[in-house]
Amino acid sequence: MTSSSEDREVGLLLGRMKSAAAPLREVLREMHSRIRANEDGQVATYIPELAKSNPNSFAISIVTTSGQVFEVGDCGELFSIQSISKPFVYGLALEDHGVEAVLGKVGVEPTGEAFNSIVLDESSNRPFNPMVNAGAIATVDLVKGKDLPDRIGRLLKMFSRYCGREVYIDNSIFMSERITGHRNRAIGYLMRNFDMVTPQFEESLELYFQQCSVLVTTHDLAVMGATLANGGKNPMTGEVAIEQTCIKYLLSIMLSCGMYDYAGEWAYRVGIPSKSGVSGGIVGVVPGEFGIAVYSPPLDSKGNSVRGIQVFRELSERFGLHALDPGSKSAMRELFGPTHASARKS
Amino acid sequence: MAKQGYRVGVIDTDIQSPGIHVLFRLPEGTISKTLNDYLWGKCSIKDAAYNVTERAIGDIHEDSDRPQLFLIPSSLKTGEIARILREGYDVGRLNDGFQDLLKQLNLDYLFIDTHPGVNEETLLSIAVSDTLVLLVRPDQQDFQGTAVTVELARKLGVPDMFMVVNKVPADVDPTALRTHVSSLFGVDVAAVLPLSIEMAKTASGDIFCNRYPQHPLTLQLKQVVARLLGQPQA
Repeated sequence: MTSSSEDREVGLLLGRMKSAAAPLREVLREMHSRIRANEDGQVATYIPELAKSNPNSFAISIVTTSGQVFEVGDCGELFSIQSISKPFVYGLALEDHGVEAVLGKVGVEPTGEAFNSIVLDESSNRPFNPMVNAGAIATVDLVKGKDLPDRIGRLLKMFSRYCGREVYIDNSIFMSERITGHRNRAIGYLMRNFDMVTPQFEESLELYFQQCSVLVTTHDLAVMGATLANGGKNPMTGEVAIEQTCIKYLLSIMLSCGMYDYAGEWAYRVGIPSKSGVSGGIVGVVPGEFGIAVYSPPLDSKGNSVRGIQVFRELSERFGLHALDPGSKSAMRELFGPTHASARKS
Repeated sequence: MAKQGYRVGVIDTDIQSPGIHVLFRLPEGTISKTLNDYLWGKCSIKDAAYNVTERAIGDIHEDSDRPQLFLIPSSLKTGEIARILREGYDVGRLNDGFQDLLKQLNLDYLFIDTHPGVNEETLLSIAVSDTLVLLVRPDQQDFQGTAVTVELARKLGVPDMFMVVNKVPADVDPTALRTHVSSLFGVDVAAVLPLSIEMAKTASGDIFCNRYPQHPLTLQLKQVVARLLGQPQA
């Protein structure tokens, strides 16, 4: 073993111990046990597989750009990524075609419409943004590859780079999405009518159903968020998942459009570039600092995880994580290192 | 420490080779829950804490607030030791347990007895402790292993660290040994414990300080307590 790999090994081990001993863990435990009592919201039922989710599952995970991990709850539980996949696929499209070409097919304007609405920008015929289904379908249509298996392979490799492990598609969720995806097909045909997607858009719809069915854990999502926070380099593996130059585009869309039609209030109150999914996950990015992920299936009327919203709001308010808050973000950093018993008691 | 009038906990985190419970001679069948059960989520850490005040200190009124001594043992069952070694556990949960013990039992001090060597329990304990007490025998093998622990402890930023040299033969000059060990590791030596026939004869069948209150070894151990309490040492 070389001295640099030795240092890395020692650093990872000590980082793990520091995380386990850090007071942030106590903060997350307290938050988790309190917010778990909130039983508001309903598990998504629009596809049968999602309706099987356990409403009691609840996990919070924070991964820093230096690779420290703070977790509480069911952080190893797998669930389908759903709409959280959208900004990451958008990043791949940006890498494949560049900003201007992608902007020619998908806008970046927030919309007050529902995420699955069948509506395009009247002046340009583009979908409003890549976070609504129409925009996500147009985005995945841009992902390059010689055929469908090649494109699926590229998508999975991209998610694997972000997660730091090999990821898989859940076949039963994929089939469930596919069988019930008439509305998304309608959106696809409408966009085909305006020449906003390629003649192969039906393949792209398959790809869209697959991207929504990738299985992740809260830990994975926090690592994905930390990778964006870390300029595109996965802090756990050191692998580059996305070009740094693309990240500002992803994060700005996550901040303005990432939380369905709660996005405006989210940007106002929470101010963390984030994306939620109907399976109950939310991933957030504090640039240069860390990724945050929460999983809890019951959703509010706008399709966001009830407990997830509460966790993000509390973390943002308590630790000054709002992106536009000129105040210091050091309040949370101070909780990353071990605080010793006597300090805790006082 | 408990005899000085404090509420003290002793947790045995040497999961692979537990042993500290032996000193307290708990009757067979007393231990129903252990640290292992807590780490598996089967009970709270408080359920695995046993009040050994009377056995360790003697005639203490049950309702008195101080002193109190609690023991949190690890499982002695081979299957349970094998299972935790095979499956591992969430090391963060161990720290949660330390914090819960401090709060729920209102402890003044929690002593964490670790495996003699570097493993997850040892490192976590170092990361979370106010003071690290390193016990070392005057033996080259021990010195090598201790050097690694000292280096990792410094990287983990433990606020206070000192050494205790154990089992020192009678013909070794304790002052010279103290100076040698202290300069070797760059760490203060709080006590030099003599190799003791009486300790060997006690064979973990009793608490040595109770049986031999005036023994030189006991007096040295009191030096360790004084160091922990921040009191001037003799």
